[in-house]
Amino acid sequence: MKGVDTVINPLLLQFGGSAVAVALMVGIAAWARISRPVAPLDPTTARTLLAIDYPDLVPDVVWISADTRGAIARAGKDALVLYRLGDSWVTRHMPWDKALKAPIRSGHIRLKLADPSAPMARLAVSGINPWPPEGLKEPQG
Amino acid sequence: MTLDPIHPAFSVVTLAIPLFVVTIILEIVLGRFGKAKATYEFRDTATSLMMGLGSNIVGALIGGFAAATAIYVYIHYHLLEIPMTAWWAWVAVFFLEDMTYYWFHRFSHERRFWWAAHVNHHSSQHYNLATALRQTWTGEVAGTWLLWLPLTLIGFPPAMLAIQKGISLVYQYWIHTEAIRKLPRWFEAFFNTPSHHRVHHARNPRYLDANYAGILIIWDRMFGTFVAENEAEPPRYGIVKNLGDFNVLRVAFHEWMGIAKDLAGSRSIREVFGYLFGPPGWSPDGSRDTSHTLKAKWLAREAAQTAVKPTEPETVPLVAE
Ligand SMILES: [Zn+2]
Ligand SMILES: [Zn+2]
Repeated sequence: MKGVDTVINPLLLQFGGSAVAVALMVGIAAWARISRPVAPLDPTTARTLLAIDYPDLVPDVVWISADTRGAIARAGKDALVLYRLGDSWVTRHMPWDKALKAPIRSGHIRLKLADPSAPMARLAVSGINPWPPEGLKEPQG
Repeated sequence: MTLDPIHPAFSVVTLAIPLFVVTIILEIVLGRFGKAKATYEFRDTATSLMMGLGSNIVGALIGGFAAATAIYVYIHYHLLEIPMTAWWAWVAVFFLEDMTYYWFHRFSHERRFWWAAHVNHHSSQHYNLATALRQTWTGEVAGTWLLWLPLTLIGFPPAMLAIQKGISLVYQYWIHTEAIRKLPRWFEAFFNTPSHHRVHHARNPRYLDANYAGILIIWDRMFGTFVAENEAEPPRYGIVKNLGDFNVLRVAFHEWMGIAKDLAGSRSIREVFGYLFGPPGWSPDGSRDTSHTLKAKWLAREAAQTAVKPTEPETVPLVAE
């Protein structure tokens, strides 16, 4: 067993040491507070951000989530979904009619995005800012 | 001097780990005090570093298969006697390994099966030294190491290739930074640099599928994939469809899950083949975007913009403040 030990022990030492170093670097990154500045979302910013990924679509409606960390925009039959991840943004699209019917649980709309790389968007909703927006509750014909 | 041609005397990457730690801390601290351009989001950093650590562990667990195959091929079938102590052998392996890397990297972007193993490296929306360590967990399984076997067959000893591959990986580490804008012209002409590799990590249509270089940028210039960084259009980092969270398992496996989902819905051999080996984004009806279609649409927009300035369509924003 001595032979196995001479291989495994240095490896465990290397991985253990690396794990400690990872924790140290993450701690320093958190301390430094050098993430990108992110302003609260407003309709203009949401449009600008969506235009990066959907340059050929022009939304006619933009709904901003209660915590200004997400948005849903209507472009034809599509709902363009935008939400914040850390200091960056994620976008996906889904059928508008499905977005209208998305369930609301614990104050969040749960949008199933049908994509293993971003399966679900949770956008905060409040009484002042209901979902679906007034006048848009009916699916498009 | 004799060198063991089978087992490398040292691991270049393991030796470089302290360098990784010190320089990442240095980049963060310089960024913190405004001395260098650097942005870090600590959850993104944690994901990158966990991917690096995980890749190391996976390599220790299953990397032996690829190494054993290379050793077997070398012992039984190598064509030339290439001594590890000859200077010309190191010059030759430097160029040949680097060209192999170029083609490995190009395949890894152009064919979905290998993209699934490489996409994790591009999944951060940040570009810093920690991003460099966002390494694959599934490359070994995807079999990309087979591309290096011809060099073993020619007669380059496995230990020599392992050392050169390590040198290439460590070289590619330091170029993952926004702190260095441009290097001297002669260096940018021959070598892969932070500027060239920023283009490689960008999701702007104009930068897609470019700059596959390892150490030398000459291969991109030779094979037509070189794109220079345009000062007027800063790179936006990440992938075409950015990941929805920081989960390392999603980073490591999301494209494999996407492939599985598509294969489950396939209706013909053509579709199976397309989903596996077509370009990322391939779909039977062409309804999804590939790098090619994204670039074409971007070019069309550019052309339209220079022809006529379009008028803004009327929009009625509905907002609840
Ligand atoms: Zn790449
Ligand atoms: Zn990279």
